Amino acid sequence: MLFIDLLQSIADGLLFGATYSLIGIGFTLVFGVMHKINMAYAAASVAGAYAGLTLLKLAGLPPLLVIIMACLAGAVFGLLTYVLCFWLIPLSHPLATLMSTVGMLLLIDEIVVHLTAGMPVNYPTVMGGMVSLGSFLLRGDLMFIFTIAVLAMAALMYLIYRTRLGLATRAVSQQPVAAQLCGMRLGQVNALTFTISGALGGIAGSLIGSAVGLLSPLLIAPLTVKGLIVTVIGGLGSIPGAIIAGLLVGAAENVFQFVRGVTERDIYVMLLLFVFLVFRPGGILGADPGRN
Amino acid sequence: MLELRQLCKHFGGVRAVDQVSLRVAKGEIFGLIGPNGSGKSTTVNLIAGLLLPTSGRIVLDGEDISSLATHQRVARGIARTFQNIRLFGQLTVWQNLWVAENRDRQQRAQPVMPRWFWGCEGDRERLGIALEFSGLAHKRDDLAANLSFGEQRRLELARALASQPKLLLLDEPAAGMNAQEIEELDARIRRIRDAGVTVLLIEHHMELVMAVTDRIGVLNFGQKIAEGSPAMVQNDAKVREAYLGTAAA
Amino acid sequence: MDFYLGLLQIIGVHTLLGLSAYVVLLTGQVSLAQAGFMAIGAYVSAMLTVLAKWALVPALLTGGAAAAAVACLVGFPALRVRGLMLVVATLAFGEAVRLFFFNFDYQIAMGGIKVGPLGGEGFRQIRYFPENGWTTFQVMVFIWLTVGVVMTALWWMDRSRVGAVLRAVGEDEVAAQSAGLNLTAVKVSAMTLGGFIAGVAGGLYAHYTTHIEQGNFNVLVATFAIAYPILGGLSNVFGTLAAVVFIQGFLIEGLRFLGDWRNLLFGALIVLAMNVRPGGLLDAQTMSKGLSALRRLLDPAYGSAAARQAIDGLKDAGAMFRRLIAKWKGAFGA
Repeated sequence: MLFIDLLQSIADGLLFGATYSLIGIGFTLVFGVMHKINMAYAAASVAGAYAGLTLLKLAGLPPLLVIIMACLAGAVFGLLTYVLCFWLIPLSHPLATLMSTVGMLLLIDEIVVHLTAGMPVNYPTVMGGMVSLGSFLLRGDLMFIFTIAVLAMAALMYLIYRTRLGLATRAVSQQPVAAQLCGMRLGQVNALTFTISGALGGIAGSLIGSAVGLLSPLLIAPLTVKGLIVTVIGGLGSIPGAIIAGLLVGAAENVFQFVRGVTERDIYVMLLLFVFLVFRPGGILGADPGRN
Repeated sequence: MLELRQLCKHFGGVRAVDQVSLRVAKGEIFGLIGPNGSGKSTTVNLIAGLLLPTSGRIVLDGEDISSLATHQRVARGIARTFQNIRLFGQLTVWQNLWVAENRDRQQRAQPVMPRWFWGCEGDRERLGIALEFSGLAHKRDDLAANLSFGEQRRLELARALASQPKLLLLDEPAAGMNAQEIEELDARIRRIRDAGVTVLLIEHHMELVMAVTDRIGVLNFGQKIAEGSPAMVQNDAKVREAYLGTAAA
Repeated sequence: MDFYLGLLQIIGVHTLLGLSAYVVLLTGQVSLAQAGFMAIGAYVSAMLTVLAKWALVPALLTGGAAAAAVACLVGFPALRVRGLMLVVATLAFGEAVRLFFFNFDYQIAMGGIKVGPLGGEGFRQIRYFPENGWTTFQVMVFIWLTVGVVMTALWWMDRSRVGAVLRAVGEDEVAAQSAGLNLTAVKVSAMTLGGFIAGVAGGLYAHYTTHIEQGNFNVLVATFAIAYPILGGLSNVFGTLAAVVFIQGFLIEGLRFLGDWRNLLFGALIVLAMNVRPGGLLDAQTMSKGLSALRRLLDPAYGSAAARQAIDGLKDAGAMFRRLIAKWKGAFGA
């Protein structure tokens, strides 16, 4: 029975981990193109989820569309982050963009707290119910967010590996100077990358909201930390790495919670990161160990 | 003095340095030349310890230093300059020299506090000599970033000398210099040699190499194809074919 | 009056916290673990004075030493990675320390009541100052004496060879290595020193607030720690002090009349500050201008020149503002 419970928590964790994958991809996309970390990313994602919900209510649309609304709002927030925190700051000051995105993180957090008076908001659960496989249960809502997350990832992969836009993005991430000489506008590609990662963040935010059943500004800090951990474990700049790492962290988190309880859970997630830093500093799929 | 034994460095499938064996004698100026991409810079980085060899040995005065870290090699007397100058731009000229660790073992045996905080006996003198050599004494307190290109090259050379090396690696020191500056550089390199420092010079500028070096090694596609006096190398058929070939034709 | 004394205490402790990040930043490492080190110093020194009845100064030093030891241990694995990876690693470590104290119980009965850290409840009754009859004013003076000692030591260190070495590593690791510096030793030393200062800051914090809990050492505090030196600029220790006074004194306390909106302004101002002055509020250029102005002010022969300098400064600010507007206009026009 214990074994079944353990398997159950792993399965739940893997399904929920897909949202971590999405957040990790967002961090990694921006890192891949600009070699910068956007600390405001998780905050913008949660804000996207809030804005999506607001749009939904204003337009009176069915709950299923909340994901699309959040995706659109997230894209706007992503672009906004780029304009406010990266656009005008010269590349020769790497600490300045780190700090400006931290400022943005605080700003978004405060705006959310201010507008919701610090109270959690109920989020529409899109699909309830359970699917049982023998003594094994799969939560319907988790299955649903997993499916949506996989669809979003597939769309992203298509965008990056099959379209001209993706080609430009990859070119800029590998050889920014050469790409510029080939006539690509660095600013445009950067802005697009932020928009795309923001859209993914909006989806992730709304999925997390519908899985938890509510949204709260308290989600922002842990989501930032987990997203960054996923990015590092997956290997900075590697999208497939972020996907695997997201699922891994999701599953590991649930196992730790099952074994040690909810208050100690995150300590072990941090330790997992340190294990990776010591034994595999480049991450799961990072080519260049620990260097940037 | 310095010996490379069947040194190899592979990057993936590319053999940047392939079975190179060399011997640099004490007190000589040894030139290392070769066309672009022949593995010269990789060789310097291997000797300086910025890269670790795939196989082969690097021996300094009978001691195998192949697996030592860069700073340990500096402590054993290897200093270097960079092809694209790497100074500490936000530090002053004096601080740039001050940062360089002294090789001298007697100095190293001194207590930590003076060594790290206010400088050992003789430090001021040692750095003063290096400063004098760079000809930048009047700009002692200027930021390195504000120096002209030529001054930066001189400061970098002085920083390398401040660690009192036995072996000095010069990676394309004449890059971007005009004829007069190259003449000055020539004189500087000879002065360094006369002070008892062995010099390994990697250079593209043929006139300088032919004028200043005692012996030359030629690399092509990561392999050594010739070694000998400047005159011998100039007349070597393989070298002509691989490198001077276009000039001879 | 007590309000201002309290504010001075906060500024003092945060200055120490900022300085602990300053030392580490000089070597080019961004550490988000400073809040974690502060927590270790706070809990250790508080346990020593409350549970073991130690005197304050040895307890503070031991707290600092404990934080330094942990910082040194963290240094080695964390320094295998650089730059942004280090940011994430130290962030995770700081959170791990916080969560450790969230789960940490160690209570003993003293005079009928149980004292000591109790998980999420935190550690109450750190009553060293009231028990020994210190007034708020005396506590404030003690904190600022500590700040003064640390700042003087760091200022002096900055001017010694160590300062040059730390900055050299921060600027170009390859060149620093090639100049014979042992990168690991330099970086781990900086981390350890930073840990010590953060630990002492934590000890002072624990004793003047008399109650600590894990929430006092969260990511926000870690962010503040690096925000001070980055905002203040890394040219010297006074930038950090200026940034602390600006943030804690002006933005947080001075703008209290704005109510909730103050917090919004805070994030927005950081974003704005980094757009306008990416090198920090007091970067090297500004500092050298300011110093020469000060020198002239002190020299009677330049009395009138000082006034001119001040006017030039105002003109500079005006020009900067105009440049910024032009930049934005250009950006939108294009």
